[in-house]
Amino acid sequence: MKKLPYLFTVFSLFVFLFGACTQEKTGGDIDNEEKKNNEKTPSGPAISIEVINDMVKSIPSPLEISFLIKDIEIKYDKTVLNAAENAKKYNNDYQRALNLGVYSTDLGYANIYEQTQDALFYLGAVKEMADALKIGQFFDFNTIKKLASTRGNLDTLLLVTTKNLENINDHLQEKKRPDLTILILTGGWLESLYLTCEVTKKQPNELLKTRIGEQKIILEQLLLLLSFYEQKNENIRNLISDFNKLNKIYENVKITYKSDPVVTKEVNGQLVTEGGTTSEIQLTEEDLKAVLETVREIRKKVIG
Amino acid sequence: MSEQILEALAKLFALITRQDGGATEVERKFVIDYFKKELDENSVDRYTLLYDTEAEYGKVQENKEISMKDSVRILGFCKKINKNLEQRQKVIILVKLLELVASDKSDKKFTPQRRMIIDTICQAFNIKDDYTSIENFVFCEDSAILNSNDILICAPHNRLLPPDARYLKVDDVRGEIIFKRIPSVDLYFVKYLGKDDIKLNGFALGHGQTNLFPPGSTLRPAQAVGKGFSVYYSDVAGVFLESSQTVKISFTAKDIEYRFPNGALGVQRMNLSETHGKLIGIMGGSGAGKTTLMNVLSGIEHPSHGEVLLNGYNMHTQKADIEGTIGFIAQDDLLLEDLTVYQNLYYNAKLCFKQLSEKEIDERVMTTLVNLGLDHIKEIKVGNVLNKKISGGQRKRLNIALELIREPAIMFVDEPTSGLSSKDSQNVVDLLKELSLKGKLIFVVIHQPSPDIYKTFDKMIILDKGGYLIYCGHPIEAITYFKKKTMQADAERWSENPEEMFKLIEKEVVNEFGQETGKRQVLPTQWHEKYIYEFPFEEVEKINEKPPSSLSRPNIAKQAYLFTVRDFLSKISNMQYLLINLLEAPLLAFLLAYIIRFQNHPETPDKYVFRYNDNVPAYILICIIISLFMGLTVSAEEIIKDRKIQKREQFLNLSRFSYLFSKIFILFTLSGIQTLSFVLVGNAILEIQMGLLLSYWGMLFTVSCFANMLGLNISSMFNSVITIYITIPLLLIPQMILSGIIFRYEKMNKTISERGTVPLLADFMVSRWAFEGMTVNHFMNNSYQRDFYDVDRDKSKYYYRLEFWLKEMEKRLNSAHDQHKAEKKTDSIRKAMKNNLELVKHEIKTENAHLDLLKGFDWEKALTPSNFNDEAKDKIKVYLDTLALRFNAKYIEASQKADERESKIKKRRDKKYSVNKYKDLYSNDGLTAFMMNAEVQDKIIEQHGKLLQLSDPVFNEPRGVDNVLDYRSHFLAPKKHFLGMYFSTYFFNMVVIWLFTFIFYLTLYYDVFKNLLDRLGKIKIGKKE
Repeated sequence: MKKLPYLFTVFSLFVFLFGACTQEKTGGDIDNEEKKNNEKTPSGPAISIEVINDMVKSIPSPLEISFLIKDIEIKYDKTVLNAAENAKKYNNDYQRALNLGVYSTDLGYANIYEQTQDALFYLGAVKEMADALKIGQFFDFNTIKKLASTRGNLDTLLLVTTKNLENINDHLQEKKRPDLTILILTGGWLESLYLTCEVTKKQPNELLKTRIGEQKIILEQLLLLLSFYEQKNENIRNLISDFNKLNKIYENVKITYKSDPVVTKEVNGQLVTEGGTTSEIQLTEEDLKAVLETVREIRKKVIG
Repeated sequence: MSEQILEALAKLFALITRQDGGATEVERKFVIDYFKKELDENSVDRYTLLYDTEAEYGKVQENKEISMKDSVRILGFCKKINKNLEQRQKVIILVKLLELVASDKSDKKFTPQRRMIIDTICQAFNIKDDYTSIENFVFCEDSAILNSNDILICAPHNRLLPPDARYLKVDDVRGEIIFKRIPSVDLYFVKYLGKDDIKLNGFALGHGQTNLFPPGSTLRPAQAVGKGFSVYYSDVAGVFLESSQTVKISFTAKDIEYRFPNGALGVQRMNLSETHGKLIGIMGGSGAGKTTLMNVLSGIEHPSHGEVLLNGYNMHTQKADIEGTIGFIAQDDLLLEDLTVYQNLYYNAKLCFKQLSEKEIDERVMTTLVNLGLDHIKEIKVGNVLNKKISGGQRKRLNIALELIREPAIMFVDEPTSGLSSKDSQNVVDLLKELSLKGKLIFVVIHQPSPDIYKTFDKMIILDKGGYLIYCGHPIEAITYFKKKTMQADAERWSENPEEMFKLIEKEVVNEFGQETGKRQVLPTQWHEKYIYEFPFEEVEKINEKPPSSLSRPNIAKQAYLFTVRDFLSKISNMQYLLINLLEAPLLAFLLAYIIRFQNHPETPDKYVFRYNDNVPAYILICIIISLFMGLTVSAEEIIKDRKIQKREQFLNLSRFSYLFSKIFILFTLSGIQTLSFVLVGNAILEIQMGLLLSYWGMLFTVSCFANMLGLNISSMFNSVITIYITIPLLLIPQMILSGIIFRYEKMNKTISERGTVPLLADFMVSRWAFEGMTVNHFMNNSYQRDFYDVDRDKSKYYYRLEFWLKEMEKRLNSAHDQHKAEKKTDSIRKAMKNNLELVKHEIKTENAHLDLLKGFDWEKALTPSNFNDEAKDKIKVYLDTLALRFNAKYIEASQKADERESKIKKRRDKKYSVNKYKDLYSNDGLTAFMMNAEVQDKIIEQHGKLLQLSDPVFNEPRGVDNVLDYRSHFLAPKKHFLGMYFSTYFFNMVVIWLFTFIFYLTLYYDVFKNLLDRLGKIKIGKKE
């Protein structure tokens, strides 16, 4: 007699228990809803992979800017960098790719200033991002670590980093994810532009100002590259709209070419971007300020 | 007797005798004799003087009315006596007074005045109804006038006796011995009208004198003429109480013999035969087999030879027929210590009598309590030996009461007096005596009884070392018998001291130096032979009616209910037990959770964020271990604690299901409360998502219930508490070792564990099922992961396929191709090629969703060593490449979904949603790393011709089951297969544990482990009693 209500209670408890476990909507449900509402399937870029590839290769290495900053004898300032601890915050491939770029720049920056400890932190952050993107195998972390912790190996470091990036690019191309390469590059570029802006703000410098102005070309290229994936990825769409704001400011910047367009080539095992110095940049102080603000804003969004 | 009473008595005597002509010489002599009996020499003089003064002895009194003064004084004395004496003693005094009056037979001085005084005293003493019959008895000189059924007349024949009087045939007595029973106080008086010298307990019985006939008394002639005669108290009482006997019993043990499991004889072949209304003692030195004999007689132990028959029913084989007729009172107290005296009796009664109403039960309990003098302590908890609440005597009496309330026809009592004071002992034995007089047959194992107790028995069974029966008969006769047999000079002297007898039985041979040699003068076997020779076995008249059962058990459900209530009351009345059990869990939870609440936030080190607490997997394990521990400890003592009570209740044949149900119900409830309070506190401190609370509790409760059942099993298996507690670590440590977290399965001895699978041994560990269930559930169903599980799983799945599986397949294919191309095919190459091809074949089969790519190609045939060729290789290669494309597309799709998920959730469900916030609050990095098996180096391995994935076990849904019953999967799998269906790991594992629990219920019900252990025990050489 006493047994039945007991069994019943236990039973209903279990039912409730499992009910509770399955009530809430899971991520899959959200996608299913999406499919019902929107039967659109993602489509690939309209442009051939080879073209993209070439364009990607023409984007300068973010490390260059660091050299420049160091050359004009500006003190190392850690606070302008993206904190390595933020690495945990990046939850999707879009964020990870962008910030892989950001951290690569920060790693170079710290390394150029021979901030070994910080460099190791950034190395860790880079590794975390790369692992999450399943491209960790293309980073020779042991070598980078060795290089980063000993001074005076900057050239080698630059070479290794570039090589790694190329490998990654190849791999991602193969895996039909050039968008990730572009995002990595974008992140790196954005971070170096930001660093330049920060330095210029503190210590106005003509050379740096010219550099900032020159980025107009790169921005245009990036925008073009990103536009291939605009349809596919909402995040990229948002990024493009942010970059368009920046582009609007850059419209005021006038570049008069004196010689060849920008090319990157290898001189004595070192990558150098040539041609920048031969162009004339017209950038007003207000525009510079606006660029500065916008870059900071975009970067803030990117690093979260 | 106190001085006050004696004084009052002396004065009463005086007041009576001084009436009507004053005290006579005879009367004075009577009074002095009385004082001599009661007092020492000096005091006799003092009280005689007092009497003389008061009675104004020597003065001739006038015949006049009783003075007012005298009346008042009489009342005063009576009042004094009333305050100090029990009713029976007052009756004795009244009889004395009457005797005093009757003593002077010469002139029959029972005058109106004296009568009035005695009347007054009777009224003051509150003896009304019995007075006339007492008076008649004291004054009578001829039995003819004593026509009442309170009279018993012993004579050789029953001619000329009053019709209502009872009769006991006694040969060889001249005249009549008359017994008078006073029912209200249960006293017997004796009077002899005849010419012989008769001794009452060794003292001469005066002619016509009225004497008290106390329990254990014997009447016998001063000089035995011929065979002589003996009248025992039990005979007398038996005749009086005969009318109340409705139960007739014949109890016969024929040729019984008992062999211990080790082969030694515990009871040597013997015969016994008894009838109802007997109190039979069993005595013997230690190791004589007293308890063993009783166990055999009571049906607990099976005799190795012979049979014990109760009214013709075999006590061992026809238990059902004699159910409820046997009561067993073990030496230990079989009481529920945490219940009150009343409750103990009440639940016992409830379990015995289903037909009685609540009121009737209460009445019955109260009557029993009053009868045993326990009514004033009925609300007191029984307590245990260390924490005594009621006295030892009261405990014993309560023990007897538990059986008594049922009124079984035969009772077996094991050493009821051990550890009791002499007064308590006497009380207990008196009680048993009374029961026997009411017609019960009672066997009592008794050790070193006092003479008073010894002589209370109707019969004494005396055993000697090795289980030999050396005497069975009247206890007092026993002493004489042994005296005679050892040629003692004073063999005829009255002796009541059983010690003397044992000295004689065990007397040792003395050497020339007067030292005992340790060799018995008469060996047990010799005593046995002497006995057999002297007392041939006589079987009592066989009674064929079915012994009456006093039992009517309630049905199973009602029993379960009663057991549960009884157990529950018992538990809640024990504050310590209750507090410890209820506080243990939250206290441990607090201790555990507080200590491991690790503030490990990367940016703000003092901030506690659940996500960064690395201790979560360990916390889950400890939760499980604690649940096991609590469950085991709370239950481990349950059954052993009750074993004594069960021993008693086995005679009630109560339902084991009901008993176990009550245990299980209470324990499960307790476990439910314990585990709930544990997770409430623990999870709250660690800030584990509240939504997971129920799932935590569900599994821990399951585990705790399992532990309860396990604990009950060991509790019923072993016979000492210490063994049980030693067993607990033996059961718990393997649970920890094989739980899957302290030691990883892939790092275990290869003989028990294979990489990538759960060792079969671990499948027997509930810790592993619980741990897997809880971790998988926490990982998959926390509010963060719920939203991402599908995409994370797909990403993991296709990444693994692309990066590891496909590469391995290609490698295998290529090496098979190389081996195919090899110029010289050695056996080892052939073997390797076969292996490779079979592996590829098996894996393609497993990946059955993509078999469409191989349509029109008999790949199974092609992937055999004889048919494998370039074409086959190419085709498979194309298959693999296409598969790579498919997987890659899937992978990209999954990652893109993942990338967009946050913004989608924000749009569709919660504007404030933030992945990082959810991650911090609900997911845990430590757990995630564990679930991903992040440490593992080789993500893919080959085993038994299959490729096994070692990475991301929690995303790896089991595929390629061997058969429908294949439940096995890798550790931390998100789903489990069984019978062609897939179940969530949490649910599946929980069911597995309940299954274990159920199996252990069955083993408990059928006492499998205990029987097993007993069987093992029989192989060894066991100890003797």
